[in-house]
Parts: sequence; C-alpha cells; structure tokens
Amino acid sequence: MEIETDVVSNTDGSAKVTLGHTAVLVGIKADIGKPRPMVPNEGYLEFFVDCSANATPEFEGRGGEELGTELSNTLYKVFNNKHSVDLKGLCISAGEHCWVLYVDVLLLQCDGNLYDAISVAIKAALFNTKIPRVHISADEEGGKEIELSDDPYDCMRLNVENVPCIVTLCKVGHRHVVDATLQEKACSVASLIISVTHKGTVTCTRKVGGGSLDPESIFEMTKAGKRVGKALHAPLMKLLQQEESLGKTRQKVGFLG
Amino acid sequence: MPTDTKRVRGPEVSQSPSLFLCKPAAVFPSHGARADGRQRDQVDVRPVFVRCGLVSQAKGSAYIEAGNTKLMCCVYGPKETERKDETDMKCGKLTTDMRFAPFSCLERGSWIQGSQDKDLSLMLHESLQPAVCLHKYPRSQIEVNVMVLENSGSVLAHAVTCASLALADAGIEMYDLVLGCSIRQDGASYVVDPSYMEENSCSSVGSKNQGGLTVAFLPSLNQISGLQSDGEMTEETLTAGVRTCIEGCYKLYPVIQQALAKAVRRAAPPPSES
Repeated sequence: MEIETDVVSNTDGSAKVTLGHTAVLVGIKADIGKPRPMVPNEGYLEFFVDCSANATPEFEGRGGEELGTELSNTLYKVFNNKHSVDLKGLCISAGEHCWVLYVDVLLLQCDGNLYDAISVAIKAALFNTKIPRVHISADEEGGKEIELSDDPYDCMRLNVENVPCIVTLCKVGHRHVVDATLQEKACSVASLIISVTHKGTVTCTRKVGGGSLDPESIFEMTKAGKRVGKALHAPLMKLLQQEESLGKTRQKVGFLG
Repeated sequence: MPTDTKRVRGPEVSQSPSLFLCKPAAVFPSHGARADGRQRDQVDVRPVFVRCGLVSQAKGSAYIEAGNTKLMCCVYGPKETERKDETDMKCGKLTTDMRFAPFSCLERGSWIQGSQDKDLSLMLHESLQPAVCLHKYPRSQIEVNVMVLENSGSVLAHAVTCASLALADAGIEMYDLVLGCSIRQDGASYVVDPSYMEENSCSSVGSKNQGGLTVAFLPSLNQISGLQSDGEMTEETLTAGVRTCIEGCYKLYPVIQQALAKAVRRAAPPPSES
C-alpha cells in the first residue's frame, strides 16, 4: 500500500492511496455553511464518490453512477456516529455557521477492494486537512461577521484517532479472503464490509453481493475483520505522522512515481 | 440534487413545524418498559398483519402492517428485459425499487428518489437475490416494487418480508422465504423491531454501544442473505445482535407461512370431496 498526502494544493486536505492496482484520490474542502436544523451545534461531512471513466471503460457516461452512490451511501453510514469525527469542533456559531467538510473521492484505477482503499485515503486526507481559524465579530447592524485569520499557517487540525477503516472480506468457497483483487472477487459469492476503529469498535457492517452467508461464517468474518482492522490503524497513524514530520524536506512522489 | 419541477413545494427555506416545538425531543430511557408496552432485551417483535393478493393488476402482491409501519409490495414478471443489451442468457434479472410515500415520515419527503431510497433498494436487492431461483427464468426480468405507506420503524426488515411474500404470491420459484428483523442497541440493552421514535432517539449519554442492525434471513436454509448495521458497536454486541435477529425471524416465520397458505387456498380452493 502506498499513501501520499497533500498531493492537491487547492484543497484543504488530500491524499492518494495505491493498493496494488487500485488507486484512489481524496480531496477535502472545508466550506462555511448552515448547520443541519436538528443538530444546530455540529458541523457535518458530505461524501461524494466519483467513478470516472479513467478507471474502467464500464464507468463511461452514467455507468459508474450506481457504484458511486453505493460507495457514498456506505461512507455516510460509516461516519454516522458521534465519535468518528469531532463534529462539535466544526461548529462556528450554533445554529448559524458551521464548517462543512466536502469529501470528494475520485477512483483513478479499479482493481477490486475499493472500500478499503477509500477508507484509508479518507483517514489520511482528514489527517492532512487544515481548516483555517475563523474569528466572529459583531458588525454595525448586530449581525455576525466572519473573518478568516490572515496567517495561512494558523489552522485547526482534526483528530483522526477514531476515524474507522473499512475491511472487505470476500467469501471464497469455505474460507474468506481479505483485500481481494478483481479476479478473486469474481470467484466469491458474497462479501462482508466491516468498518473498525482503532479500539475495535465496529461502526458499520454490510453484506454485499448476490449470495447468502452462513451465520457462522459471518461471525468468523467479523472476528477476522476486527482483527485486521484494528491492526491497520497503528502503523497507518505512525506513517502519517512520520510523513508530516518530514515537512519541507519531503520528496513529493506525485502521480507518476 | 435533482429538483422536482412538476409539483409546487413551497419556498426552499420552508421547514417542518416540528422543529420549532417548545419542549425538547424526549430522550428515551434505556431502562424500563418501551413506549408501546413491549419488553426490552427480549425478542418481542410487533404483531404483524399480512395479506397477499391485494393488487389485481400485479402478478403478485403483499401488504404488511407491523405496529404503525405499513408497506405494500407488488411483483411484476417474469417479463422480457427492458434493455436488450442487459439480457442475460443464463439467468434472469431481479430489479427492486423501494420508495417512501411523501406522507410516510414525520417530515414530508420529496417524490424524487433521494439517496436513502436508492440505498434501501440496493439492500433489498442484495437480500432477495440469493433466495430467488433466477436460473429458472433466463432472458427475463422480475420487478419488485415496495411502497412504504407509513414509516414507523424497521422499514427495511419489513420490506424484505413483504417483498418475499409478494414473490411467493406471484409464483416465482424461490429457495426459501426471506424474513427481515432489526434491532436497535442502546447502551447495554437492545430493543427488537424498533419503532420510529426508538430508532431515531439519540441518547445524550455517549454510551459505547449505540446502533442499529438489520438482518435478512432464510429460515429453513439457515442462511443470512442481508446484513446491515450502523452506529458504534463492539464485535460481541454485533454477534449477539445477529443471533437475536435470527431468533426474531424464526418467531415471524409461522405467521408468514400461514398467510401465504391462506392466500393460496383462497385463489385455488382445494377440490371438494364429494
């Protein structure tokens, strides 16, 4: 797996992940918006997955739309809990302004195991996100005025400790396979997607595919998925912090490396 | 977001009056009896009213009522595939469509399918596909349409049950009926077949286990055809939850079988003994 952050300079945070022949690019932009009516003191995240025709010719035109909606709906479910991202920290003034993080995922190359690559890329991009600090002042008519701080380095970082990672387990015959390529996926009848945080909490599970699974194999797969997912977080965080600490001396690999 | 140009929806900034209620939304206690008298931590599903063969135009149809949740499903087919390039020579195609009536939830929804509808349709498709013998219907398409008339909790679970009943009523060959059951985990206790209020209440205590789980199950084959969970749960809670849902499905099985037998007897009464 190859991960590189801060690849797109126009975004507030970005990351590119290459997992074998699967390549995924995530860009995060932070916008100021109105909070949702039911939760006025929290910001929110919006996900959009774009399956471009670059990845496979099947995605040409509207072909990739179905897969894109499936992926983004699953991402909404994965992050639909209180602890993954600190949403209260994204609030600027309750009921009026909040930060909305638009997470846009672009599939560059498709060779199976999209969920895993996307979740790792999102975690890396969120780690890399720098949200500028805002200052609210009251102007003459009593309305609120938002000022961005002048210093480009004065920004807020997100705590990505609790961001979950997705593990896909494909059932092939009587055993299950983690990180399946497209060819391995073609042999499996059904797969289980499980998203796990570093503490081992499961935030979302979903069965995909046109086959059915035995309850016993589901229990086995959740155990294995939890083990793999938990083990993924520590090296990932270490790698991200290492990359960050390199600072200016870091060699940018870019897209053709 | 596609906009609906054919219907007058009022200005964009209009909001539901329920947002302006004086008293805050009731936080449901995680102990004690549930609002409708059912028990916590026990497989206490709502009594279900099921009837097949409602829609005369459809090949098969079913209506299910569980508490206040009301759904109906129609099955059309097997018929020739609409798009010639998608015709599969070896097995049939199952298309599912799940829609919410705009008056079904507390807040008025729009007619154009949002992402939630598409997501539920996809999960319904994944739950039904293992059960239908599609290889017996090559080059054809079977359409399943579910319409939610009133959403009062665990909509996906009841949609799965209703759809498999409608498929059976239509005479589509299946390996087994698919039954759905859902639970909501709230801290250390769980509620089976949650109502809308129980599903959407977010308890203020940031407790560890909070989430919902829906399972689609084939009882006589003992296979899980659909599984979906969200929220935060430990793996042990998830496993226990799946077992509870399976139990709930077994409880529902005799009722569904009886309803199906009644419908068949009504349609084709047994030859009278003379």
